[in-house]
Amino acid sequence: MTENVVSTVDLKKYFTSRKGVVKAVDGVNLSVAAGQVFGFLGPNGAGKTTTLRMLNTLLVPDSGQALVAGFDVLKDPGAVRCRIGYVGQSGGSDRPATGREDLVLQGRLYGMSKAEASSRAAELIDLLDLTDFADRIVYTYSGGQRRRLDVALGIMHRPQVLFLDEPTTGLDPQNRANLWKQIGKLKATGTTIFLTTHYLEEADILSDYLAIMDYGHIVAEGTPQQLKRQVSLDTIRVTLGDPAQNPAAAQVLEGLKVVKSSVLEQDCLRISVDNGEAALPQVMKALDGKDIAISNISLSTASLDDVFLEKTGRSLRDTEAEGGDR
Amino acid sequence: MKVLVDIRLMFVRKMKETLRNPIYILSSLLTPILYLALFAPLLKNLIPNTTNVLNVFVPGLLVIIAFLGGLFVGYNMIDEVRNGVVERFRVTPTSRFALLAGRVLRDMVNILVIVTVFVLISLPFGFRPDLGGFFVFVPLLCMMIITTSSFGNALGLILRDEDRLSPIVQGINLPVLLLSGMLLPMELAPTWLQVIAHFNPAYYVVEAGRLLVAGHITDIKVGEAYLFMVPLTILVVTWATRAFRNAIA
Repeated sequence: MTENVVSTVDLKKYFTSRKGVVKAVDGVNLSVAAGQVFGFLGPNGAGKTTTLRMLNTLLVPDSGQALVAGFDVLKDPGAVRCRIGYVGQSGGSDRPATGREDLVLQGRLYGMSKAEASSRAAELIDLLDLTDFADRIVYTYSGGQRRRLDVALGIMHRPQVLFLDEPTTGLDPQNRANLWKQIGKLKATGTTIFLTTHYLEEADILSDYLAIMDYGHIVAEGTPQQLKRQVSLDTIRVTLGDPAQNPAAAQVLEGLKVVKSSVLEQDCLRISVDNGEAALPQVMKALDGKDIAISNISLSTASLDDVFLEKTGRSLRDTEAEGGDR
Repeated sequence: MKVLVDIRLMFVRKMKETLRNPIYILSSLLTPILYLALFAPLLKNLIPNTTNVLNVFVPGLLVIIAFLGGLFVGYNMIDEVRNGVVERFRVTPTSRFALLAGRVLRDMVNILVIVTVFVLISLPFGFRPDLGGFFVFVPLLCMMIITTSSFGNALGLILRDEDRLSPIVQGINLPVLLLSGMLLPMELAPTWLQVIAHFNPAYYVVEAGRLLVAGHITDIKVGEAYLFMVPLTILVVTWATRAFRNAIA
């Protein structure tokens, strides 16, 4: 049995605004197993950030319970703070300091000695590829460089769990991919990562386990694969070199266990399968075995947007323009 | 003690910032120097029974340096809130009091440097302070800095927006300066104005400063200034620490 690093029971936070009560987080139950990347997906304003701020002790819940790294956020916030790392949406690096100075300061605030903090800073500068600019003032950093420093600050004290609030928002695709790589490295060191995002691809690529939040509620959770399979099957499209072989090909494919159904659409065979990635090589091998030449083959997998659409009745892509963060 | 370590770390962080950009200290000197050069000469014929005009005028300027130096620190605070720096520190086990105290101490060092330089500049113009009296004046200036810097920092943290901070600090700035008697002694003012001035902490410090610089250490007004400033400092620091503890920033 894996131990849970984060678990909440019926966590609630309401805000009172001029328009009335906003149920930002309305009864959230979460379990995050040690060592996994936990993705927290939802549109802006869904309550992701509010949930995260209750878990990292910045915000006091109205009701419910939250255990983080073995301690109650309400009863023992100090113990929680020592064991978690946090990288907020706006980062947190000190602009007039150098990256290295800021890292050492961060370590010292967690009680490290000067020597300990310096060697840990050097380690992280290496791990997160900060070497080229670590001794420059943060004002001079690009957005991507600053983001990497922010992440380094968050893990300076080797936290059990690292909270990342929309870490790639505002980054260009290249920097986003780079940060994904760094997050992968962190995971390899055994750090549990709790990540909020409103990007579908990001949630899909990074998370081992995923919870989808909307209007203060968790609407779905599971591994990205499980979630996608709940709503639809993967599709493989095959176009043959010789269309005359289509009936023969269909017959071969019907014989495969992984194939749920196959339909001929114009000159293209559309095959529904449970797990596209596993089925693809089998399909190719079976056709090859009968000397049926493939001119084109493609796989489209069910997307998380399909999941979101099914669970909330609207598309996540449509909601991105709505509301602000809270 | 964790809190002392934290205060030192936070102080060093902010002090490095000052040392990287020492022009701030020079620019803060400009206003008082202009007053000294272009306004002080007007006073010679205005203030009766005074042999040394600068002994009356310079203490007032020093109080203003202390007052303004602290009041406007909220802008820097807003910058740090916006960059997530404050939030980052609040997620660490850093003492909340240290988050405030480190900044306030840095402001105090900065402003005391400015005060020292300004006193040295004033000497050739004819400023002749009583040394003992001056050293009793310095703690009053320090309390002034601690009060305004704590207030300014907490205000920045609470408001988190320059457009909301500006009207408040500007609204405090001018009345406090006018009612402090810094430009002209409040003795020249009508009674109602003198009564209002008695609610102004800067007034007490300016009055005490003039007496102290003239060597009247035992004057009752010096005691009054301490009696006013000590509780005020404690009150404002307590309030500001609470703001650092509770802020959502």
